[in-house]
Amino acid sequence: MSDLSPAAREVILAFADDEHLMGQQHTEWIGVAPFLEEDLAFASIGQDELGHAALLFEVLVGGDDAAIDAIAFFRDADEWRSCALVECTLEDWGDTLVRHWLYDSAEELRWQLFAGSSVQALADIAVRAESEERFHRRHGDALLDALLTVDDAAGRLQTALGRLLPMALAMFDGAAGEADAVSEGVISGPFASCADAWKQRVDDRFGAQDWASIDADPSAGRTTRHADFAPMLDRIREVLDLDRSAVW
Amino acid sequence: MVRSWSSMEEFEAFLDDGGIVEAEDDMPDEYRTAVFRFIELHANSEQMGGLTERDWIPRTPGLRHKMSVIAKTQDEFGHAHLLYMVAADMGIKTRTEMLEDLFAGKSRFHNVFHYRVKTWAQQVAVAFLVDAAALASQQAVFKNCSYGPYRRILKRIISEEGFHMRLGEDRMMRIAQGTEMQREMFQDAMNDWWWPALQLFGPDSKPDDKLLRWHIKSERNEDLRHKWVQKFVPMLQSYGFSIPDPGLHYDDETKQWMCGPIDWEPLKKTFANVGPDSERRINEASSHWETSAWVRDALDEHARSQASLTTA
Repeated sequence: MSDLSPAAREVILAFADDEHLMGQQHTEWIGVAPFLEEDLAFASIGQDELGHAALLFEVLVGGDDAAIDAIAFFRDADEWRSCALVECTLEDWGDTLVRHWLYDSAEELRWQLFAGSSVQALADIAVRAESEERFHRRHGDALLDALLTVDDAAGRLQTALGRLLPMALAMFDGAAGEADAVSEGVISGPFASCADAWKQRVDDRFGAQDWASIDADPSAGRTTRHADFAPMLDRIREVLDLDRSAVW
Repeated sequence: MVRSWSSMEEFEAFLDDGGIVEAEDDMPDEYRTAVFRFIELHANSEQMGGLTERDWIPRTPGLRHKMSVIAKTQDEFGHAHLLYMVAADMGIKTRTEMLEDLFAGKSRFHNVFHYRVKTWAQQVAVAFLVDAAALASQQAVFKNCSYGPYRRILKRIISEEGFHMRLGEDRMMRIAQGTEMQREMFQDAMNDWWWPALQLFGPDSKPDDKLLRWHIKSERNEDLRHKWVQKFVPMLQSYGFSIPDPGLHYDDETKQWMCGPIDWEPLKKTFANVGPDSERRINEASSHWETSAWVRDALDEHARSQASLTTA
């Protein structure tokens, strides 16, 4: 859409990049999750997140596949607006499950900011996304309900939580011009306005955290890239970079 | 009602008469074992096929393209999921035992998944050639399958595999109409994958093949292979690709494409799990299975504690 303001574009791009890379990270677990049902779940959730990314990119550049791929894959690293939580590669499935839960519980709140958007396409996407997201949250919660009752697993998951929380807090880093996007009615508030509600969810799920002692990782926001980003982007573009003129 | 048969002759007469065996039937052990092994092989192949595809999912060229590729791989794992349930219901091995045997290299999976997919064009070639071969085999089983639970899930599997084949064909056509680099890459893929795909049908069926006698298979391996060749040789040639079989020729009399001699040694190696990429494939799957054991153990422990709460 050409009539979007630069601030609106930044806010949409930040969300699209997060959804794209979260989906990409999920795809890495298809086939190597702990059991078959999880292979299927990660395939399904990964598709949904990539689908949300495609819809958000479509708001920015239109529905043509080539245009969507151009914005999704061919920007320089400093033009991405993703947060480190979705850029980092996690080798452990416990870390992956905790990230999945932390991201999705924030994602619900983030879609609520878009639900009454002055940009009708965004409001429509928010309704559709939430209809899928509630199943993602149910998936994460069902596993955590069981795993957090078993000592060994609970220990692993709590350790994962401790590792990931500073990065997860940086997820609320607002896109440039976010305040303008709020005053334009593109979103109903800054993403950071969701942080307290999200912290309460974390407390309810994993036990009360000492939030005063947990700082957002200053290098995990949207203007810098995590060390894992460059190799991941190379992997994403491996085939595309063989010949930019090729249609696959 | 549990049905039983007093002799193999009586059981075979039942099968010849179009009888369908159900899981709870008191079927002859020989039949139970043969059908179980066949379904286990199918399940393992769906599982290892999914793993073949997963290597390339993150590199799929295109965002929406990636979504359709994930959906296909999800189907393959979904097929494994269904097939392992049907196999487990036969009471010979549990799903966990089947997977652990697979990851320990103790059981078999189809020859094509013992090869490494080296390029994106190979990924497409596998989806196109191998899925078509697998679909033809499955359709031949579905046509007259005497084991009811297998027949019923094959109906769903076949309908999904039909979409996969069309997805593969669509992607092959894009490459065929693409750049010189794409066409060369696909020809290289053909050179590597033609023979493994053709050998997926197996060597010629033995005269006393029990799977044919018991109406699990309905067509001989060589007949299915021959039909596949008739379809794919002209199609690939029409797109300008060559078939890496120096003995391939068109028989004017029978109006049929005839293959040159087939070297079955590579197939035999895959039967022994010593194909070109067998070790890496099995070791990787096994390693992931081991490192995630804590999740399965914890869920088992949780289930046991829930059960004891219920019974207390």
